[in-house]
Amino acid sequence: MVDLAVSLGSLRLRNPILTASGTFGHGLEMRAFTPASKVGALVSKTVTLEPRAGNPAPRISETEAGFLNSIGLENRGVEHYIAHTLPEVAGADTRIVTNIGGESVADYARIAEVLADREEIDAFEVNLSCPNVHGGKLPFGTVPRVAAEVIEAVRAVTSKPVFAKLSPNVTRIADMAVAVEGAGADAITAVNTLLGMAVDWKSGRPALATVQGGYSGPGIRPVALRCAWECARNVSIPVIGCGGISSVEHVLEFLVAGCTAVQIGTASFADPTLPGRIAGELDGELARAGIERVGDLIGTIRDGREAQRG
Amino acid sequence: MPAPPSDARLLHARLVHVRPTGDDGVVLRVRPERELPPLRASRFFMLKRLDGTSPMIPRPFSIYRQVDGCLEFLIKVMGRGTRALAEAPEGAELSVVGPLGNGWPDLDGESASWVLLGGGVGAAPFPMLIEASLARGVAPGRIHYLLGAATKGLLYDLDWPRDLAERGVRFLTATDDGSEGFHGNVLGLLERLWDEGELPREVRLLACGPDPMLHAVERLARERDLEAWLSLETLMGCGVGICNGCPVPTRPDGPLGAWGNAKCCVEGPVFSTREVTLG
Ligand SMILES: Cc1cc2nc3c(=O)[nH]c(=O)nc-3n(C[C@H](O)[C@H](O)[C@H](O)COP(=O)(O)OP(=O)(O)OC[C@H]3O[C@@H](n4cnc5c(N)ncnc54)[C@H](O)[C@@H]3O)c2cc1C
Ligand SMILES: Cc1cc2nc3c(=O)[nH]c(=O)nc-3n(C[C@H](O)[C@H](O)[C@H](O)COP(=O)(O)O)c2cc1C
Ligand code: FES
Repeated sequence: MVDLAVSLGSLRLRNPILTASGTFGHGLEMRAFTPASKVGALVSKTVTLEPRAGNPAPRISETEAGFLNSIGLENRGVEHYIAHTLPEVAGADTRIVTNIGGESVADYARIAEVLADREEIDAFEVNLSCPNVHGGKLPFGTVPRVAAEVIEAVRAVTSKPVFAKLSPNVTRIADMAVAVEGAGADAITAVNTLLGMAVDWKSGRPALATVQGGYSGPGIRPVALRCAWECARNVSIPVIGCGGISSVEHVLEFLVAGCTAVQIGTASFADPTLPGRIAGELDGELARAGIERVGDLIGTIRDGREAQRG
Repeated sequence: MPAPPSDARLLHARLVHVRPTGDDGVVLRVRPERELPPLRASRFFMLKRLDGTSPMIPRPFSIYRQVDGCLEFLIKVMGRGTRALAEAPEGAELSVVGPLGNGWPDLDGESASWVLLGGGVGAAPFPMLIEASLARGVAPGRIHYLLGAATKGLLYDLDWPRDLAERGVRFLTATDDGSEGFHGNVLGLLERLWDEGELPREVRLLACGPDPMLHAVERLARERDLEAWLSLETLMGCGVGICNGCPVPTRPDGPLGAWGNAKCCVEGPVFSTREVTLG
């Protein structure tokens, strides 16, 4: 038996496999496909203070190597989450991470405050890709100082672990990582979707009603891996890798690059049993490689100068 | 939050055979790893090949027929996903997620007759519904199945509905080009039946087909104050309620109106026109 447990701040997980926000429901909807007891944690879709209707259809489009979405953070708001989702996840045999979003720093602080004392929640993940209405609708996670303000505001109202979920759509993600670490984040999730778009040249129609949207899936894995690695090299808090992961090998690549845990997103759409299955395969895969503790693999990536040698 | 149906699973399946039908269609017969109990018509499955030829995201298809422990799907080739399925060799390994969605309501034998309106490959969920209704004792004369398409070759598999017609169900076809049946669309055909006194004014409608047809059915139901159910074909990213990619606007005054969008995959694909609006 390989020891698969990892820690994200004070939060101990049975294994390093989490679901990614917005790709596995709010609560336990998917238990018939992946039982909660199989994964390290379930991460909710982003919850906001007020209900959000989301964007018009079409909201999704598949491309050669990935998936575009413009859901627009559709969710029924925090009151609904408290009334309907928290009772469902209470006592679930896994860690529950609530992903929160907002339109202003005050929104984030308020929603974290509203949820801070809820025992059902084990940690918060702060979605920094939400547009900042007071900042020209630029996502919070594109300016280090602004991202730090959000994390500080959340940190101030809760003693639960706080994960800062970063956007890859920045010039230097390491600057973001350093900023949120300084602001008190317990872990970093890297990354959210890349900005992308698709158009049919014959009709001139964009694939998404919002024209641009978030790009995810297999095509972003190299970008996500690079982002996660860059974060891990520049901070001392744990990094949760996310982007294009669809097999146990992919998981191990992210761990070697410095991640303590990973999230499975778009891949669950094609196979909602995948998070549980990958978690189940980790033990055998590590045992075959003679590794006794998953922690022993984390950050073992070699220097680039050794890339060519055996 | 709406969850996938409790009987939905991910199953491995083998392709038994592919039978071409009509101008651009196939009937795909697949054998899942275990046999499924009889399913409600207009429930659906997410299908993809596991040999890397299908796109990453599986595609949704209504159950067409259940035979000998197999599932059959009537598929119109549209793009990458449907082509990969239509060209799959015998024995190909598939992933099948389902059964998903709610399916048609039970047709009862009381009150108004049922008019089933199919457009093109929107025919897929009807013959099984009719079979099940007859088996439950609904009089065949209470079911009127009107199937339309642009042209004859897009009406697909006509043997089964013709067999149902022999058992007393009224089955009529319509084509835009007049190559088969009534010259015009199914709504034109319905109007003619009404005008000629061939059908009572008070009927209940079920419809599956292209968007313009469903819009017209919704309008008709509203104008004539008829009960109507639509089986919708939105884009779907997952089929199980987790991607939020399949919103259908709800009617604010309807039973789902507390929230502006219904999820087609887990709250549909069949909706009553009191619940949703195509706008
Ligand atoms: C609940 C449900 C049941 C369905 N049942 C059947 C069925 O029994 N038989 C059948 O042939 N088809 C059915 N469809 C439609 C089928 O899923 C689409 O035709 C298929 O996804 C197209 O995939 P593709 O990769 O071949 O085309 P793509 O390359 O994805 O697209 C090709 C073209 O088809 C359009 N398209 C893509 N997806 C859909 C969709 N979901 N509905 C309508 N148009 C679409 C695109 O806009 C594009 O113009 C059903 C859809 C739903 C939601
Ligand atoms: C349809 C869809 C909805 C998403 N919704 C959210 C969300 O609400 N909040 C969030 O922080 N990330 C959201 N994401 C981003 C994912 O959590 C993840 O960061 C991203 O998709 C990259 O991982 P992947 O390639 O494994 O999907 C969403 C992604 C998709 C595809
Ligand atoms: S298709 Fe994904 S939520 Fe309906």
